Amino acid sequence: MKKILLVLLLMSGNAFAEEISVKVQGMVCSMCAQGIKKKFSAIKEVKTIDVNLDQKLVSISTEEGRNIDDETIKKIITEAGYNVANIERK
Amino acid sequence: MLPYLLGLLTLLVSTLTYAHPVIYKGGTMIASQNMEMFSDNQINYSFHQKWATGLNLWRFTRENEETTQFGLVRLNHLLKRWNNDDSQANIYISTGAGVAESNFNMKGTKAGYLGGVEGDWETRTLFTSLKFYQFSAPKLVDVSITQARIGLSPFEADFDKLQSWVMLQAMYMPQVERNVIVTPLLRFFYNNVLWEMGSSLRGEWFLNFMVHI
Repeated sequence: MKKILLVLLLMSGNAFAEEISVKVQGMVCSMCAQGIKKKFSAIKEVKTIDVNLDQKLVSISTEEGRNIDDETIKKIITEAGYNVANIERK
Repeated sequence: MLPYLLGLLTLLVSTLTYAHPVIYKGGTMIASQNMEMFSDNQINYSFHQKWATGLNLWRFTRENEETTQFGLVRLNHLLKRWNNDDSQANIYISTGAGVAESNFNMKGTKAGYLGGVEGDWETRTLFTSLKFYQFSAPKLVDVSITQARIGLSPFEADFDKLQSWVMLQAMYMPQVERNVIVTPLLRFFYNNVLWEMGSSLRGEWFLNFMVHI
């Protein structure tokens, strides 16, 4: 019984979606930053992607039970031509 | 047939580029710059965030209707990028090889080459750029073009909103009689599409278009 509860608990924990805020350097042109949105939108872990030029932030919501590691985020931002300054998760 | 295809391409994508010749990895840039005396049409695929390759059709007509045109395979390289909190600066170099046709001083068709360098610095409301390109077909023709731009945006548009710019472009082409062309223009971009329109101080029209796919 305890094992079942433990499994259920772990499963419920994994079901949470993640909110990730990525501070990006060099993001001054909306047209040039379209690559960021395009690249993140193409991966299945991402539910929504929002780019805020005022705050230099890329906000990513993941699908429930899925997450994206920092290395993947840095790779996508770098391939889009920018630098990652900071990654925060909620 | 080829002129019709080029014309269609111009209408569809009508720019040269005050566009970055290298964009995000996996992205394709289609661009066309058109003025009365020249047109520059490009398609470049960025196979790496610092490298792109593509095709360039470049046509230049002098006052006496003499024409030079180049069809080139290009290789573009982002030599250096500075990503800062509120600005970005870039240096690009480009090379190309293909075919040139001219009736400037000599008439004929020969192998043609391209070499160029360009740099820019921009914030969300300021833009400056400088570029130099040399088109050469040994023993046939040499054409160089130097372009400088300065631009100002009256407001900081959000990522998914229309962005507007007022720009001033100066172009120097020593191979023509009136070798300096100054063109005030308006630039707009929305999502992945950019378009520009203007008229030189001598009244020559100017039209650009670019899309990132």
